[in-house]
Amino acid sequence: MNVIVSKFKEVLFSVLPITVMVIILNFTVVPIEQVLIIRFLIGSLFVVFGLTIFLIGVDIGITPLGSLTGKSLAKTNKLWLVLIVGLILGFFISIAEPGLMVLANQVNLVTFGQISGISILVIVSVGLAIMLSLGFLRIFYNIPLYKVLIVLYLIILALSLFSSREFLAIAFDASGSTTGILAVPFILSLSVGISMLKKDSNASEKDSFGLVAIASTGAIMSVLLLSMFSNPEEFQAILNPKLSEVNSIIGPFIMIIPSYLKESLMAILPLIAILLVLQKIYFKLKKREIRKLITGFVFAFIGLLLFLIGVNAGFMNVGTILGNNLALLDNKIYIIVIGFILGFVTILAEPAVYVLTHQIEDVTSGYVKKKVVLFPLAIGVGLAVALSVIRILVSEIELWHYLLPGYIISLILMFFIPKLFVGIAFDAGGVATGPVTATFILAFIQGAAQAFEDADLLVDGFGMIAMVAMTPIITLELLGLVFAIKSKTKGVKKGNE
Amino acid sequence: MNNNKIPIFELIYVIVNYGLGSKVLQKAKQYGISGGTIFLARGTVTNSLLNFLSLYDEKKEIVLMGIDSQTANCALVELNKEFQFEKQNKGIAFTTSACNIVGSKCFNSKAFKEDGGVNKQMYQIIITIVNRGKAEEVIEAAKTAGSKGGTIINARGSGVNETSKLFSMEIEPEKETVLIVSKKDITDSIVSSIREKLEIDKPGNGIIFIQDINKAYGVYE
Repeated sequence: MNVIVSKFKEVLFSVLPITVMVIILNFTVVPIEQVLIIRFLIGSLFVVFGLTIFLIGVDIGITPLGSLTGKSLAKTNKLWLVLIVGLILGFFISIAEPGLMVLANQVNLVTFGQISGISILVIVSVGLAIMLSLGFLRIFYNIPLYKVLIVLYLIILALSLFSSREFLAIAFDASGSTTGILAVPFILSLSVGISMLKKDSNASEKDSFGLVAIASTGAIMSVLLLSMFSNPEEFQAILNPKLSEVNSIIGPFIMIIPSYLKESLMAILPLIAILLVLQKIYFKLKKREIRKLITGFVFAFIGLLLFLIGVNAGFMNVGTILGNNLALLDNKIYIIVIGFILGFVTILAEPAVYVLTHQIEDVTSGYVKKKVVLFPLAIGVGLAVALSVIRILVSEIELWHYLLPGYIISLILMFFIPKLFVGIAFDAGGVATGPVTATFILAFIQGAAQAFEDADLLVDGFGMIAMVAMTPIITLELLGLVFAIKSKTKGVKKGNE
Repeated sequence: MNNNKIPIFELIYVIVNYGLGSKVLQKAKQYGISGGTIFLARGTVTNSLLNFLSLYDEKKEIVLMGIDSQTANCALVELNKEFQFEKQNKGIAFTTSACNIVGSKCFNSKAFKEDGGVNKQMYQIIITIVNRGKAEEVIEAAKTAGSKGGTIINARGSGVNETSKLFSMEIEPEKETVLIVSKKDITDSIVSSIREKLEIDKPGNGIIFIQDINKAYGVYE
């Protein structure tokens, strides 16, 4: 039972911080209705069990599928095949992403239907698919990641000059939403799978990461392009997220089951399709192997369902109330500090974060430890939330005031750190924006925004995910800098440069 | 000092659950071992429920340390106390002989083996290197011949003509290395079982080699 117990413990210790934090807040600064707090605790239980099952499923199903797919692609040695398969994979993974569907609906709403949800969905998926293919090529032809990223972000910068500030937020949020709970583990393992084939193990380490980063720039660029061509002029504020008035404790959990059942199914279907198709034409795995993969998918599905129910029924309302009540306090320091702490603890419960940190440990044979990565990541997300809160408080600050310097710093830092960390850092940006952030933290920020008359829900509400996607890049690059300096002072040649 | 060059160095292998490797190494340093190398591996599970759920891989870490026999023996005894290898699922530790170790300053090169006869070499380690994906078959084959399980290390390597190029990447074929500890009297049957099932004798299918184990802790009957 070792495997299950150790996973369970790991998950428990990462969900505990946020649970404890909310309880402490409940008894000190922000009393929360009893019904909600009980619901929150039940939600936490769902999250713990769901996450445990989900992660086991990822370990035995999704990660192996990703690396198998990556390897098989590489072994075909045919450029056109890689490009086509990359396009198909990217498109279907992205279009089934629940987070992106939510975003697409919101965009539809705020633009009075000038931009339909479907068009956003398709365009972002195409963008991601194209970049995924390019990302494959980068690994195959050994093009350094930092060069690719610089070019891509320069393009993004140029595009964003021509787009409205509302769309800037939507574009950067889209990149966070597409890299969702199932896509990230799959894309990560695709690149790790390919890189493991490489003869030079240094190159293999470096190239294991970065594919998520490249793929998510596709989403940003496509939305920016869309906004340039459609050029919508009118916007309306999105409807405020309704607090469910239901007073029963169990009710909300049952009510949302159908919709999340659908969502989990949608998310897992493309991967199952990929498995079945590739098995038929390429893998030809043995029965035992294929059984293992499918069991993994079943686990991932059940776990995902439990997890999403827990987060949405238990966490969301608490988040909104926390944000709202804290913002109404006279002393604004509270909400900034608490925002930071909440960001810090929620990221620990984010599923994709596990997958990334484990992947890093595996690829570096334990040289870069999980904890070492988690800490800067959590600080990064904490900062992102705190900065977002400040942006709501001070209406003069616009999103690009953060994003522009942030991305400039992260692009400059790339030149000074071991190249392994470039990939890790930029991937972490996509990884950090998962379902917990998208529900709990987003609800927190929107709750805070509601408390202010002059805060525009569209501009302030969107953009938070963009921040969470950016700050971890910088903090992880700083970690890379520390590694670089330390290994220099020890006189050990790392040869990573 | 007889002229018989009895091996005076030992390689200690400690196979423990994932995450414990660094602790083992730290402890070992306290007992005079100058350093070690840790690599990730996976072991097999015999629990039938876990097998049903396809959770048959368990992450392991292998710590490899080289030191003169005397220190090795003391350290092993201490490590065994600390990590309790004789209890089930706590891991295993064993040593094999090495002829010489170069590159570590801490060795006292005058250490000689004093009594070669004490350690009855009851166990042997069978190391099989096969193409990626075949490791489970190796372990299956070993089990049918009486082995209790094995540890798998992902590896890569190539024979004479195997390096190839895909796109611009230099590729080395992926391999899996399987470590199986077995009692001396069944080693032969395990090896022949693996040879048969995996057709090791055909070129390109892999290699097997066997080393004697001097001391072992935590191996089950």
